[in-house]
Amino acid sequence: MNDLELFPYPKNRLQKTDLDLAASLQDLVQKEIVDKRLELKEDYRGLLEPNLNKLLVEVGLQRMFWPEKLGGEEHNGPEAAYTVAAALEQVGRADTGLAYLAAHNLALQASLAMRENLNQEACGRFAPLFCDGRGPVIVSFVLPVFGEDEKAPAWRGKSFQVRARAASGSWVLNGKGVRPTCSGADAHLFGAWCAVEGEEQPAFILVPGDAPGLSRGPEFKKTGLAASRNADLDLSGVEVPAENCLFRGDLEYRRLLSWFYLGVSAAAVGGLLAAYQILKEWGDNRVIKGTGNVFKENPLTGALMGEIAQDISMSRLLAYDLAGMLADPTTFGDAGSDMVYTAALMIVHHVLATAERALHRTMELMASAGYAKEWQLERYWRDLKTVQCYVGSHELAKHDFARWFYGARTL
Amino acid sequence: MRGIDVFSRPLEYLTPLGEQVGEIIREWVENEVIPYRRRFDEDYLEHRLILPPFKKLLGEYGIQRILFPEDLGGWGLGHSDYLCVAAFRMFEEIARADSGMAVAFGVVFWPLVLICCEPHVNRRLCEEFAPMFTGTTEPVFSCLAMTEPQGGSDIENVEVLKGSTIRTTAVQDGDEWVINGHKLWPTNTGGVADLMAVVCTTNPGSRNPDDIAIIFVPCDRPGVTQGPAYEKAGMAADKNGDIWFENVRVPLWYRACGPGDDAKYYGEVVSLGNMGSIAFAVGVMLNIYEKLQEYANRKVYRGLPLKENDAVAGVLADFATTIEAVRIIGYQCARMCDRQDLYGPRWSPEIVARARAHRYFAADRALEAIGKVMNLMECFGPDRDWDVEKHWRDIKMVQLWLGGKQLSQMEVARWFFECETL
Ligand SMILES: Cc1cc2nc3c(=O)[nH]c(=O)nc-3n(C[C@H](O)[C@H](O)[C@H](O)COP(=O)(O)OP(=O)(O)OC[C@H]3O[C@@H](n4cnc5c(N)ncnc54)[C@H](O)[C@@H]3O)c2cc1C
Repeated sequence: MNDLELFPYPKNRLQKTDLDLAASLQDLVQKEIVDKRLELKEDYRGLLEPNLNKLLVEVGLQRMFWPEKLGGEEHNGPEAAYTVAAALEQVGRADTGLAYLAAHNLALQASLAMRENLNQEACGRFAPLFCDGRGPVIVSFVLPVFGEDEKAPAWRGKSFQVRARAASGSWVLNGKGVRPTCSGADAHLFGAWCAVEGEEQPAFILVPGDAPGLSRGPEFKKTGLAASRNADLDLSGVEVPAENCLFRGDLEYRRLLSWFYLGVSAAAVGGLLAAYQILKEWGDNRVIKGTGNVFKENPLTGALMGEIAQDISMSRLLAYDLAGMLADPTTFGDAGSDMVYTAALMIVHHVLATAERALHRTMELMASAGYAKEWQLERYWRDLKTVQCYVGSHELAKHDFARWFYGARTL
Repeated sequence: MRGIDVFSRPLEYLTPLGEQVGEIIREWVENEVIPYRRRFDEDYLEHRLILPPFKKLLGEYGIQRILFPEDLGGWGLGHSDYLCVAAFRMFEEIARADSGMAVAFGVVFWPLVLICCEPHVNRRLCEEFAPMFTGTTEPVFSCLAMTEPQGGSDIENVEVLKGSTIRTTAVQDGDEWVINGHKLWPTNTGGVADLMAVVCTTNPGSRNPDDIAIIFVPCDRPGVTQGPAYEKAGMAADKNGDIWFENVRVPLWYRACGPGDDAKYYGEVVSLGNMGSIAFAVGVMLNIYEKLQEYANRKVYRGLPLKENDAVAGVLADFATTIEAVRIIGYQCARMCDRQDLYGPRWSPEIVARARAHRYFAADRALEAIGKVMNLMECFGPDRDWDVEKHWRDIKMVQLWLGGKQLSQMEVARWFFECETL
């Protein structure tokens, strides 16, 4: 049995096309990424960028949702949630950062091109960019963060990073030291959740990476996610057409995030599966206590390995549970509904916290080898922690849970 | 804003010398290390940025001499009963800037303990090696080479495996040892070390403690080869690499303590290694406290400084509590290692077990607490410019070395529950 099949997931719910896609991605990433990692390490130009192109353009992840007549594959029913999960766990297994970038791209597609809420106008404007085969479209989001100005407009307590002003036929955007969720140095499209001058309701506005007035700071160093070369942005009077505002409502915003969290959860599961494969090799061969017994046969380390496998299994099941909820809005409600959004937020935080613990444990079992770049484990540890931080504070997300479950009003 | 000195220390354990050196190190850290440390990761191979501050601290300030007897140009700390508490303070201060540097610093003294400390001072070896450390203003590095390709934990698991897995051999040939073998990972290798203490066997496969030999080897001896530094998740300031010994010859009297005693006092370096590890964790957390102070004051949530939110304050409190608890445990561990008259010899299985318990508790708590801080800092948590992520990467190793957490658990269970077959 393929060792990834050891970890339970609702295979019966996946279409044959999902399984085929997952299988071909598994081969592709093995050959193109996993097998070359030792030599190319985390080289952006040599390894990550070319593979982003392969995944998004050649395999076509960035065409998935868009209507066929616009060059897409129109795989845009809610069941595409399973496709996202199956694909991104494979990508995440090879490189969590690439999967994290793909999660942005797919979430944006889902929020514009889902059959039920297809935004014709926006599809017409943006699908060609994703479907013209000219290169990967790196999508990044600009979400509220902890700001530094007590009076700045805020969204659920966090400061908007960009302020938008409606002009005739356009939006004018301003923001200083804006930190995007990924790829500030490279992104082609930034989706910013902006405060709107003089209005209560925020706006989600797409800003092309080459828009006049948008400048990028230098790439900054961070713990992991080499695939995401991040940099802070300045937006100084950036003007974009009025139609670049994709939505104004909470529902749509939460829908975008629910899909994003699905992608991130699947990416994290991929990282966990990679850690499993590395640990398995170690457990099959490393001898401890000088007795000739391999590692996995030791009662203490064996139990810990079992716990790690449990963590991976539960995370995978949860990620697919989320896919199941998004895939069946008739039963569970819209992806942007409070319930589904809260579930998505809980799952992504749970999976990432579990991933952190499981990676810590795996490293403990591999001691120095786990800490050495050569064994490839430590990069998943760094990548997953970085993703966890970018998804946001778990402590404050708990307020969202409390709002939904207990009706808390002021948190 | 409150500074790092708000955290409790058992004041009755502190000594004037430790405090004085601690202050000197604090100033050194502020001027020579903190301004440069964000570039250390990329400097892991060359140590162009890392070596100059070491030159100042070890060579120019002369701290590399402290263990040697005073009549040999040292400060005589090997004879004191406050060495560990003083060392704890120094390690904390250095780790506040960079725990990799703190490790590299600590290991300068680690093997020397075997020859400089009461009651097993090896006067002849002190006389032999003191000039290396006292007669120069260049930094001199030592290393303690235990780990081998087949595993480090088993070699440190002396109580159970009694050296039977050591493959590096020392064979007597006339009045010399001939050493052959392959070590990996020791701190201060990768071309850094000047003097090594090598854990060898004089009779491969033997379970007789007499056959465990810890032998000093100056690194310029023919047959010693150090490989380049490995690339790691963190701790760039500590170089680790392979060392190959090919028919390396040293005099018989380069053996640290002698048959039986080498195995016995090996426990002492294990205890001290664990004690030092706690100090590294504390130093790191102290600096994160400073960063978190800045972050939680500067950043705004719901129109107020972040720290004024009750949920956030819960996380901040947990972090401060972790520092409080771990620091007290660490100083207690150091005191226990100092006051052998009260607590028993620091090489005994009892003290080894206690120090291991203290260390793995400290490392686990520190990692958990730092992980939460990073998450609270959201996208600034993994940002190199906030320094927290560096500490998170670095300090992970404190949990992994010295035989890893699981060996620690076994030694603790063995002692506290008198297990016989673990
Ligand atoms: C920055 C750094 C500094 C270091 N400094 C030094 C140094 O100065 N000198 C030196 O010699 N080495 C040093 N090391 C190596 C380090 O001490 C070893 O990695 C460590 O002792 C574990 O050995 P190992 O990596 O060979 O793992 P293994 O011995 O293979 O152990 C792997 C894992 O097996 C488990 N395990 C081991 N024994 C048992 C047991 N009895 N019961 C249950 N589980 C068990 C644990 O989970 C352990 O983590 C350093 C490493 C690093 C990264």
